[in-house]
Amino acid sequence: MVVQTMDRPKVAEKIECNVVKPQITVFHCINALSNAALLDYDNCDIESVKLPCSSMSRELVFLKAFESGADAVVVLVCPENSCRYLQGSLRTAKRVNRVKKLLDEIGLDGRRINLYNIHNGDVRAAEKIIENTLTDLAFLGPNPAA
Amino acid sequence: MITGEQKPLAEIKAKVKGYKKILVLGCGTCVKTCFAGGEDEVATLASALRLSFKKDGQTIKVEEQTIERQCEDEFIKEAAAKIAGVEAVVSLACGAGVQMVASRFPGVPLLPGVNTTFIGILEKPGLFTEKCLGCGNCIVDVFGGICPISRCAKKLFNGPCGGSSNGKCEVNAETECAWQLIVDKAISSGQLEKLAEYVPPKDWSASNAGGPRKLVREDHVI
Amino acid sequence: MNGSHLQQILDRGQFAVTAEVGPPRGSNVEAVRLKAAKIKGYVDAVNVTDNQTAIVRMSSIAGCAHLVQMGLEPVMQMVTRDRNRIALQSDIMGAYSLGIRNMVCLSGDHQSFGNQPGALNVFDIDSMHLINTVKTMRDSGKDMSGFELNEAPKMFIGAAENPFADPFEYRVIRLAKKVSAGADFIQTQCVYDMKRFKDWIIQARDRGLTEKVHILAGVTPLKSARMAKYMATKVSGITIPEAIIKRMEGVTKEQAAAEGIKICLETIQELRQLKGVHGIHIMAIEWEEKVPEIVQSAGLYPRPSLK
Repeated sequence: MVVQTMDRPKVAEKIECNVVKPQITVFHCINALSNAALLDYDNCDIESVKLPCSSMSRELVFLKAFESGADAVVVLVCPENSCRYLQGSLRTAKRVNRVKKLLDEIGLDGRRINLYNIHNGDVRAAEKIIENTLTDLAFLGPNPAA
Repeated sequence: MITGEQKPLAEIKAKVKGYKKILVLGCGTCVKTCFAGGEDEVATLASALRLSFKKDGQTIKVEEQTIERQCEDEFIKEAAAKIAGVEAVVSLACGAGVQMVASRFPGVPLLPGVNTTFIGILEKPGLFTEKCLGCGNCIVDVFGGICPISRCAKKLFNGPCGGSSNGKCEVNAETECAWQLIVDKAISSGQLEKLAEYVPPKDWSASNAGGPRKLVREDHVI
Repeated sequence: MNGSHLQQILDRGQFAVTAEVGPPRGSNVEAVRLKAAKIKGYVDAVNVTDNQTAIVRMSSIAGCAHLVQMGLEPVMQMVTRDRNRIALQSDIMGAYSLGIRNMVCLSGDHQSFGNQPGALNVFDIDSMHLINTVKTMRDSGKDMSGFELNEAPKMFIGAAENPFADPFEYRVIRLAKKVSAGADFIQTQCVYDMKRFKDWIIQARDRGLTEKVHILAGVTPLKSARMAKYMATKVSGITIPEAIIKRMEGVTKEQAAAEGIKICLETIQELRQLKGVHGIHIMAIEWEEKVPEIVQSAGLYPRPSLK
């Protein structure tokens, strides 16, 4: 985790007093986004996990991401009905839903993990997703179990 | 197989509160197949507990281990080392496994993490249904292969009751009426008139109603 | 009281009228008396329900005993949901000793419908077994273990059948089973769908059942359009044709009760024409005050006396 010190006036300007750089873990199917390094942000740390198909993920790995300090988890999958392994992205969606409920039960807020369908190589869409996630985090605050 | 469902996280958390070091012990047989207590579920629960306690500003050390079965000593002894090093064990086995581990390790609190439910089958991926109550005297052939004891809410031997509607049970609109199935089977095999025969009352003494049961195979006792 | 009054009426070939009352949810005997007073003289016998819809009430056996005291003829309903064979046989003997001469054998609504759904159900035996058990106790003087009873309970045995439940093709076969098991009379679920009821009675006639058992057709007067729609959709085993619901919806709220009674009387008229129907069973639960009006308007008053 990188602690970024900010000038007092800038801190006062922020809506949420969030002095810590948010950490987002991105799980991505290589058919949806080939390389997360394409996403380049100064104001957050992005950890990425490359998968041959998003369905190679399990609930456990999403929780491990939070145990490792992630404030939010983004799961990028191929558009509906376009999974090259047919049902992969569908299964991933169901797992993400389960983890959302589990996060609520844990008390971390299920809104920290979300699944998005993007077209192959649509980096702009991926960047928009990161921007939205940061906005969410300004509201949700950092991971209280980090 | 025996099916069960993992208890809600809040309930398990309440049980382990106060302990500094626990073991989540999984079982690789029945509860693994119904996604309640296998290795994956053990790891997920352990992670969820750590996150939950950390969020409260507390720490808990959660050990993880899964053995083949918790209903046989041969496998239970593999967990001895880890059990010795913790204050409490959360077992994700069925009720039988939980009790056996508890009896073999009487010094350590044994907390059940799974609600054992029924003997059933996997109808299709993700759907398990109850099929058998272990009555001790199987006569499913009388009913065309459909057991009215486990699948009729009123255990009728001469059903159906007046609440059967559109092939569904009055108790739950999603539950199939066992007697509709029995009648349908009889019709399709040309045996409807056979169902006009009176089926006499059950002798329940061979079931759990007659007292807790055991099975002894002398040929295996050395 | 010696024999069953209801049995004598039916055996003499007279059209019988029975009704139904639910005991109070408490020990208030006056509540039983009030209900009974409303229908006394207008029916040949009255059913007392047994924790109907699994809601805990004063027991049927107690309700029936009070009715005997009041000079009415009770029909004890007995479900197999709450008592095992030991308790059931015991209660049958006790009921007979209290002057109760008629009983109806039922499985009972599942406990999940009631106000104590966490209760463990019994269902040691089913309604078919219960019919057979009472018959054996009556005719052989023996209980289920073969033990010779110190005075046999000579009950007039009833059962229920639902011509409107599924599976339809099996309903008459099951009726035949109940007759073989020992049923003397049958009370059916309330009739609105006359076509389906006629289909059923014709099948019963074809199997010779109407000569072996007395069938009493159930009737329930509708109070309102809301009641009609509720029963049609929420109560399993009851079928109400669209035409009847439309009739109830087609009148004002003030006229609804009268329309409901009118439909009930038309139903009774049609039922009386059907060969094989030997009586009616009026289930006007919590509307017992309408029973005298229905019986009189249907031309069934006064009831035959046996003196």
